[in-house]
Amino acid sequence: MGLVDCLNDIVGPKYVSDRVPERYLYSFDMTENPPQRPAVVVMPENVKEIQQIVGLANETKTPLVPFITGQNVGGLTIPQEPDAIMVDLKRMDRILRVDDDAMYALVEPGVTFGHLRKFLDEHHPSLRYTYPLAPPFTSVVANALLQGLCDLSTRHGAMADFVNGVEVVLPTGEVVRTGSSILGDENWFGRYPLPDLFGLFSGWQGMTGIVTKMALQLWPKPPFIEHAALFTFDEEATTQLLQGLVRTQVLDDADCMSLSLVKMLLGVPPPVHAMEGEPDYGTLLSLSGSTKIETQQKLKTLRRIVESPEHGLSRPLLIDWDAITALMGDQAASWVDFPSDAFKILTEYDGLTWVGTYIHPRNWGAALAGGRRIVEKHGFELMAFLKPMNGMHYGEFKFIIRFPKDETTVERVRLCNEELLDHALDQNAIPYKTPVWAAKKLIARADPEFVNLVKRIREMLDPNGIMNPGRWGI
Amino acid sequence: MTTESVLEEWLHRCIRCSTCKYVFRQYSPSCPSGEFYRFESYWASGRLALGRGLKMNELDWSDDIAEALFTCTTCGSCEEQCQAPHARSIVKIIEEVREQYVQKVGPLPRHKAFADNVAEHHNPYGNTHHARGIVAECGLPTRADTAFFIGCTSNYRETSIRDAAISIMKKANVDFTVVDEHCCGSPLLRTGQTDSVLELAKHNLAQFEAAGCRRIVTACAGCYRTLTQEYPGLLGSFDIEIVHLSQMIKELIKDGSLSIESEFPGHFTYHDPCHLGRHGGVYEEPRDVMRLLRLDVSEMSLNRANAWCCGAGGGVRSAFRDMAESTARERIRQAETIGADHVITCCPFCVNNLTSSSDGEVDVSDLVEIVDRMSVANPRQRARESE
Ligand SMILES: Cc1cc2nc3c(=O)[nH]c(=O)nc-3n(C[C@H](O)[C@H](O)[C@H](O)COP(=O)(O)OP(=O)(O)OC[C@H]3O[C@@H](n4cnc5c(N)ncnc54)[C@H](O)[C@@H]3O)c2cc1C
Repeated sequence: MGLVDCLNDIVGPKYVSDRVPERYLYSFDMTENPPQRPAVVVMPENVKEIQQIVGLANETKTPLVPFITGQNVGGLTIPQEPDAIMVDLKRMDRILRVDDDAMYALVEPGVTFGHLRKFLDEHHPSLRYTYPLAPPFTSVVANALLQGLCDLSTRHGAMADFVNGVEVVLPTGEVVRTGSSILGDENWFGRYPLPDLFGLFSGWQGMTGIVTKMALQLWPKPPFIEHAALFTFDEEATTQLLQGLVRTQVLDDADCMSLSLVKMLLGVPPPVHAMEGEPDYGTLLSLSGSTKIETQQKLKTLRRIVESPEHGLSRPLLIDWDAITALMGDQAASWVDFPSDAFKILTEYDGLTWVGTYIHPRNWGAALAGGRRIVEKHGFELMAFLKPMNGMHYGEFKFIIRFPKDETTVERVRLCNEELLDHALDQNAIPYKTPVWAAKKLIARADPEFVNLVKRIREMLDPNGIMNPGRWGI
Repeated sequence: MTTESVLEEWLHRCIRCSTCKYVFRQYSPSCPSGEFYRFESYWASGRLALGRGLKMNELDWSDDIAEALFTCTTCGSCEEQCQAPHARSIVKIIEEVREQYVQKVGPLPRHKAFADNVAEHHNPYGNTHHARGIVAECGLPTRADTAFFIGCTSNYRETSIRDAAISIMKKANVDFTVVDEHCCGSPLLRTGQTDSVLELAKHNLAQFEAAGCRRIVTACAGCYRTLTQEYPGLLGSFDIEIVHLSQMIKELIKDGSLSIESEFPGHFTYHDPCHLGRHGGVYEEPRDVMRLLRLDVSEMSLNRANAWCCGAGGGVRSAFRDMAESTARERIRQAETIGADHVITCCPFCVNNLTSSSDGEVDVSDLVEIVDRMSVANPRQRARESE
């Protein structure tokens, strides 16, 4: 029996396709990374079907690529080897449980941010999850696996830090769980005190198994939420001010972006460029409290720092959200209502890419300034985005490029991204959601024993090398 | 038929962000074919990417792409949800790619069959053409201010809608006629078979003009969309007002031409036909009429611009019956969820698909059938008739 027939037997012919449209559609994403068509796309509905698909892949030595919506902005679902089976997990979209006491949600991989938000609003209105500035219909599980960032990252860190545990179909077909759920189905409260096996799956881009369940921490929805906008000049000054503000521990989140991004949100048509004299960055500050007085006091704390005389001539400006609302109208509320609609400014063309990294706070300002020069040199719109992470233990920055995917522009994008990455690595920044070309550059500079260990773990878990082979260039 | 290429205009758009797949900020499904097939290729974003692939020669024109391309009902919900600049052109792009497909590969066999019927019988069902015969049958004038454009589905399938429409207009003493109408062209436009549409449009316009009509009224959502949205592009501007019968009925009740005398018990809901609502912008008049009828009405959670499609449009019912029926069943389920026992809509094609896909738990009617049942001519008209 051929591959397709075997897959038909497993999930039913309706959910298997080796037709041209599907093979084409799953061969590329929005980035500049080169396409490759899978042999077949399959859509399992449950863990048993996934186990059977994994078994088949082992028998036939066929690569498997997990896919949910393909919006990782890193080419991570593009098969690196020919004749792969694309495993589209969209049909596994159940929210299995919300535990009000331990405050977590247990979800399948197809659950999107939008669906989780809707479910919580309808059934558990006192709880919230946390959302990236991504389109609402991207996978919650994939985002956590990729260690993404969200609207509580300034306080709590990357999204992988919110994971209590996972259930995984290993590359050899066994189903394992990590974290406290090893003692039962209703016990997904945390990862400790245990060997933290979630690390075998977090950040691996689908190379170590297919996650079939994930428990994610939720938070009480605070009764009072305030926003303010901060406008700043210069990279060093901006990052230093952000560090000072975050260290007060009053902020839930801070989304700092090139002013061009703010102008895009205001409806300025492309290409959007910086103007002489205008601030370089706009930051959305979010804070919350149990009382109005608490949030007001928190805002006061921030204002005291922003208005301190040490900022000299290029004074930052802290603007109340009421004033921003007067300026932006409905867009202001829509921007801060996560999953936010702010992502729409990134949907101008068919191409979107970035070089994004997590970085030591010390190097943050220099990395940003250097990146800005590179983007300007290559003539793209200046779209830097940065976020203080995990109480300012580290920072995030990325340079976003939205672009039409014609050949010439794609080539220009490649050159710019390469230069951005080299520059970031020079600052010891670690790139996230790394496309293969970027992972190779990282590996070339990384401690070789780390790389060896990664390879050994992978070989141990996946002796036939079926899971997303070629990712990370290993 | 397309002169300016929308596909080319929007070639480098759509990052496939999935926003078209769900109702924005409400997070309910919005795309019938995406929900039925689930592969990326069956959502709007997938089809735009296919269009781009074909244009850039990354894909070949072959019948491999037919199913992904032709399972779109052209309901337009994706256009409401998409937040990108090309949002309002999505359906046009899909229809343009279909048109090119037909030119290069040929129409789908089921679609060709109804195009052949239109050519031979002037209606896609292949029934004997008889539109103008109704003039004599119903005692209508041959020339009148208003033409009732029956539409093929009412005239050859859901004939009770045609009869109810005529009955209502007679009760209200509307000066109307029926012309020798040919298919409006909607099924051909939606399925890429555009060659003969200009001829159909010219024929129909000539008939309206010959009958001295200054207004066209239709009870069909598909005809309404084609007459209002496509005819001006095909024929240039013409001086004839086009209204949907629900709009006219509202006025007739309000100005007293129609009296509502009986009651209709039950729990009703309204299904927005895509061609009338999203494509035609007519959301409120049918609801206003239902209020004037004093029906007990609740809204389904997906209504107006976010309404779930019945599944029949875009040539889907003829070529992909399973999907059409599954989509209709979902709409019926949505009606059942709010406790409705009666779905009212304003489109014979929706009535047809919803009825044949329903297990009978919920009745489906066109608004004109309900209005006809509940209305009587106003007293002046009745007096005139009894003279
Ligand atoms: C406009 C835009 C803005 C964005 N903004 C942000 C942002 O602010 N913060 C942020 O963090 N992200 C952001 N993203 C990225 C995106 O939201 C996430 O990376 C996304 O949530 C991943 O979900 P996906 O459905 O796209 O996953 P996919 O792209 O389908 O998969 C991602 C990776 O995970 C692997 N994978 C998928 N499922 C499994 C599984 N079950 N088991 C094992 N491996 C699996 C895949 O093989 C792949 O390597 C943005 C994206 C866009 C398009």
